[in-house]
Amino acid sequence: MRIFKIFGGGLRALFGKQRAEQELDEELRCYMEIAAEQKMRAGTGRDEAARETRIEMGSVEALKEQVRDVGWETHIESFLQDLRYGLRMLRKNPSFTIVAVLALALGIGANTAMFSVIEAVLLRPLPYRNAGEIVLVSSTWDRNGTLTSYTSSPPDFFDWRDQNRSFSSMFAYRMSEFALTGLGEAKRVGAVMATAGMFSTLQAEPMLGREFATEENRKGANHVVILSHGLWQSAFAGALDAIGKTIQLDSEPYTIIGVMPPDFRFPLSATDVYVPIGFDDKVMTQRGAHYLAVLGRLQNGVTPAQANDDLSAIMAQLRKLYPDKDDKWGVRAQLWSAALVADIRPALLVLLGAVGLVALIACANISNLLLARATVRHRELAMRRALGAGRARLLRQMLTEGLLLALLAGAASLLLAHWALVAIVRFGPADIPRLASVGLNGPVLAFAMSVSIACALMFALIPALRSSARDAAGLLRTSVSPTREAGRLRGALLIGEVALSMMLLAGAGLLLRSFVGLSSLSPGFDPKDILTMGVGVPDAHYKNSAALQSYWDQALTQLRALPGVASVAAVTPLPFSGDDFSSSFRVEGRSVPEKDEPSAELRFATPDYFRTLVIPLRQGRTFTEADRLGAARVLLITETAARMFFPQGDAIGQKIQFGARGGYEKNEGEIVGIVGDVRHFGVDAPILPMFYVPLAQSGMDGAAVVMRTRGFPATLTQFARKIVQAIDRDALVGEPVPMETLVSASLGQRRFYMMLLGGFATLALLLAAVGLYGVISYSVAQRTQEVGIRVALGASRSEVVAMVTRQGLRLAAAGLASGLVLALLLKSVLKGLLVGVSATDPATLVVTALVLLLVAVLASYVPARRAARVDPMVALRFD
Amino acid sequence: MTAAQKPGPVVQGTLDMLILKTVALQPMHGYGVGLRIEQISRGVFQVNAGSLFPAFRRLERRGWIQGEWRATENNRRAKYYMLTDAGRKQLQSEAREWQAQSAAIARILEATSGEV
Repeated sequence: MRIFKIFGGGLRALFGKQRAEQELDEELRCYMEIAAEQKMRAGTGRDEAARETRIEMGSVEALKEQVRDVGWETHIESFLQDLRYGLRMLRKNPSFTIVAVLALALGIGANTAMFSVIEAVLLRPLPYRNAGEIVLVSSTWDRNGTLTSYTSSPPDFFDWRDQNRSFSSMFAYRMSEFALTGLGEAKRVGAVMATAGMFSTLQAEPMLGREFATEENRKGANHVVILSHGLWQSAFAGALDAIGKTIQLDSEPYTIIGVMPPDFRFPLSATDVYVPIGFDDKVMTQRGAHYLAVLGRLQNGVTPAQANDDLSAIMAQLRKLYPDKDDKWGVRAQLWSAALVADIRPALLVLLGAVGLVALIACANISNLLLARATVRHRELAMRRALGAGRARLLRQMLTEGLLLALLAGAASLLLAHWALVAIVRFGPADIPRLASVGLNGPVLAFAMSVSIACALMFALIPALRSSARDAAGLLRTSVSPTREAGRLRGALLIGEVALSMMLLAGAGLLLRSFVGLSSLSPGFDPKDILTMGVGVPDAHYKNSAALQSYWDQALTQLRALPGVASVAAVTPLPFSGDDFSSSFRVEGRSVPEKDEPSAELRFATPDYFRTLVIPLRQGRTFTEADRLGAARVLLITETAARMFFPQGDAIGQKIQFGARGGYEKNEGEIVGIVGDVRHFGVDAPILPMFYVPLAQSGMDGAAVVMRTRGFPATLTQFARKIVQAIDRDALVGEPVPMETLVSASLGQRRFYMMLLGGFATLALLLAAVGLYGVISYSVAQRTQEVGIRVALGASRSEVVAMVTRQGLRLAAAGLASGLVLALLLKSVLKGLLVGVSATDPATLVVTALVLLLVAVLASYVPARRAARVDPMVALRFD
Repeated sequence: MTAAQKPGPVVQGTLDMLILKTVALQPMHGYGVGLRIEQISRGVFQVNAGSLFPAFRRLERRGWIQGEWRATENNRRAKYYMLTDAGRKQLQSEAREWQAQSAAIARILEATSGEV
């Protein structure tokens, strides 16, 4: 009840303000009259009584202020007053306002953009019900103490699923592709091949129809399909009777049993079809065949760590049970959301830290500008103080002005952040999950708002505390000229700005150097002028290998005949495509226990592959047209593999059998040559040992065409696709992609991080330059008189220029020195991001310092020139 | 309390209670309240306008006193403050609390070593 009364009184006071003021005036007047009357009654003269009363009362204005302060409404009132006043001040100094708002908007905008990336990639929950319970289970391989994550084998998956006590459900899946035919032109559809249990684990249900049944896990029974909402719309126009119809996937009929709702995406991005994985009996014996991703949903109250221990115990049991299982295999369970971004998270956090520094630099800048202005506003503040404004009141007003500035900047920053996000979506790498879903949503807006307010507090507090510190008399006594102390404060802020900029620039420089180094690394072949094109051959049309062989012969011959094509070959998996194929193998004549058999990468290629990609032959021969089906089986081995497996240099002539423990089961062959290494997974990836098998002897039904062209005729890409499509309409022919695009995409994340940090560093440099320029120009303006005297006493212009520039350089040098120390801290921060360059790389640090120094010279030279033009007569009359 | 004690401000936190008590005796204007506190305390407490008026505003806001413009004995207009019902309750509870506290303090101050 009381609260209403207090509130009501405040409201009445707000609206009946004039009356309340009048009443207070009258009451105080009466009080004074009565007081004087009392004194007169005691014998004091009339004038003397009035004087004494006034002295006793003190400042009537201050008293009224105290009375007004009793109610809450005065705070709102004075805030509105401060706001109006602040707006007027900002309007009166448009150049200050524009510079300050722009600088802050850049700082806040960069932070907002960076945060929205963090929000979309790291913070936003995965789009599944209770996503915090979904755990990724992966196999691990112990390579000299460091664990690498791998996919898992079917027998391991079933043992985990059936023996664990931590999960309420678990499923395994792999990604695949099908050619969807029979509905116009053959279309490539992305597929998830999953075990039953996928939908219950994800807690997602089909919108129409049903999910997979357990018996549909078996090969032969798995010809059913669940469509994505998108494919249902495009292929069946959303017809309800699509359920029960069949579609042709890789020329085999699949019955549609369900349709997913429109917002369902798995795994994270949209996939067209979901098909039961179809295991046969044989897979249960292949514990070494790792190709399944496994996800599980934790039981209530079980932590990922407990699940991890549970599965590890099962795995230890399995290793004992199956001695052929390599004891280097382990298992790891971690939250799916964390596992997805495990590699990306550290880099993004480093970038968030960097962009925070940019905001700090912007704040230091504004603080400096405000300090400079505070000396100008000195008299205004003194006057208000003398008229009865308390310190708190002045402080509040200056903070309100800061807040106003920050909110204006915050609003402007949203526009900048929006543009930044458009660029990030457009140019960001595809392998950062959910990066494309960034946006200025609620959490991001809240973040921008909080950063603005935090900035306002940061940059406005120091100047506000300083200028409200002294009492009115002190304020009035000092002249407009700045105190030495204020100068030192501004110098210190500037040194901090330069130091932080130095650190950011050094970091960006290191990333740039690392990136340039990586870009100049050879992938092991020459990607220039190479066009690639994926071709999936429908194996239903090519039941025997001879038919497949003639398909490839035909395709390659026709492509070779195209004008502008120098040579053509086919390979699978294509380097830099992200696809992979490996197998265990056995060297004839060496007796090694099955579980210790080595494994290597396998590639299947046509004879011209090595000539087309310019992969050097080191020894022996490459494949020829004679290495066909039916001829003696041959193999090539890469240098690294030869060194690793045949250290005596006797690789050629050795006979190899693949796939005893899973992998490539069909092949064996004799090594006939050694070729150069290829970095299959990226120029920054390690070189893995590799074998090549002639495509013609492999029976592989899909491959990528690689064409060496003479400078990419624009028409070639369309022709190439049409020619291959004409051979078999049901073949899946992908869009031709230049090899260089694939190579550069493999550095996409690094490029992204480098560009972001580079952008932040550039902002920092710009802000530091503006700050330096501001400080020097201001001090030149303050020293006009001194400069005038110097010139009058015979100082030359160049001496004046040198004097002022020296002042700027002294500050910059101090900043650089502290920045250098800060840059040494980068070592631990950038550890994971640098390749081939030390975090304390002297060349980078020197160049960074030189760039900053140059900027400092420029930023102080401009105001120095102005100082040199000072007319001594004008200067001496100045104040 | 001796008459030699110099006049000073009221004990921290008690001004509101003293004002409530003063206007409880009879409705009174601002100057009168100050004067009355000084008189009754025999000059120990002196209340200046700087504390008095914010306190009036505060008490009025809380609904414990209310003001009314009346004529003084010398035929001047002045704002007289009087106690409301809520104010009376507040005064009672504050006075009770104060008496309990001051009695306790007095006991502590008069304690001799034998009692400890």
